[in-house]
Amino acid sequence: MARQLAHLSDEALVLLAARSEESALAELYDRYGRTAYGLALRVVRDPGLAEDAVQEAFLAVWRNAARFVPEQGRASAWILTLVHRRAVDAVRREQRRRADSLERAPEPSVEGVEEDAWLRFQRERVQAALRHLPDAQREALELAYYGGFSQSELAERLGQPLGTIKSRMFGGLSRLRELLGEPGTEVTWTSTT
Amino acid sequence: MDLHDLTAAYALDALDADETEAYERHLGQCEECREQLAELNDTAASLAFGAVAPAPPPRLRAAILEQAGAERSNVVPLHRRRWVVRGLALGAAAAACVVVGLAVALSRSNHEQFVSVGLTRGANGNATLTVTGLDAAPQGKTYEAWVIPKGQAPRPAGLFPGGRTATVHLHGVPQKGAVIAVTVERAGGAPAPTSTPLVTTQT
Repeated sequence: MARQLAHLSDEALVLLAARSEESALAELYDRYGRTAYGLALRVVRDPGLAEDAVQEAFLAVWRNAARFVPEQGRASAWILTLVHRRAVDAVRREQRRRADSLERAPEPSVEGVEEDAWLRFQRERVQAALRHLPDAQREALELAYYGGFSQSELAERLGQPLGTIKSRMFGGLSRLRELLGEPGTEVTWTSTT
Repeated sequence: MDLHDLTAAYALDALDADETEAYERHLGQCEECREQLAELNDTAASLAFGAVAPAPPPRLRAAILEQAGAERSNVVPLHRRRWVVRGLALGAAAAACVVVGLAVALSRSNHEQFVSVGLTRGANGNATLTVTGLDAAPQGKTYEAWVIPKGQAPRPAGLFPGGRTATVHLHGVPQKGAVIAVTVERAGGAPAPTSTPLVTTQT
């Protein structure tokens, strides 16, 4: 089927999904499903669990679309946050991972992965920004976001005080935000009280 | 624990369950944190694009759309949902308590709230209940999921704290025709429901 909704913004698609428009969910999946799967796979390191995480997340988008508030951030960030949360939940449930040391399994190789040009550009941009961070900040962000480790686990495993881990994560994210050059001063959380 | 310090960790999903709950409660009262979180969340999510992304199997798209189509009828606006599930005895006091909780939940938002519940059958034969739209359970309370097989008493199916989206891994797969319900119970759960279900769905 042609992508008849391809001209709509992500936010407009979420609004349509809130009205039970299935083609809007399909379009959102076509835009972010691959990134979502790559993210989930990176975190859980298991194709079956990654599929489950992506499925649960997109169904959460479907069920929760009416609650999405554009002022709280981009729709893509909302979707990928849902995916990430489920992937982290899955990896924390996997007790066997607890036995692993911080020695990370090798990153999935880009060899043999056919990427479209836009995804490759995005990936290289984020990876370049990460390389610009001080090592300690990059390590904290990567282990937390891609590794699914909690701040307490990181403090213990890296042998650092919790406060140090917190400031590395905060400093790293703030710097990354500058590096990615995101506009966002106008992005504010709408108070609902 | 200084909750202001947890914004970055929250955006990275690097808090444990207790910290997440405490931080989410704090968010309701701290505008500064809400503003900071909106910024850091977008940045954290952009890390997703840094992962190598092989194509997912085509069946994933099909499974999502099929399940979404099947769930349409399960999405019930909060203020119009049915409160009573046949076959459950209800205590009036408990019901009143839930209504208070509902009013609080509604007053917090200008937006129409939806509570929905979905059942996902995983690849390995287990079942996952996903409940969205419920605020975090009040202090000292928990949400409890129930599987009610046709013509039988409700069976406890798992506890969850609510907030954002809650995922409950059920023991076994509910039989066709079973009803799944969610109630508010005292922390630790109850062997049988003591309050009116907040949401129910038929399998």
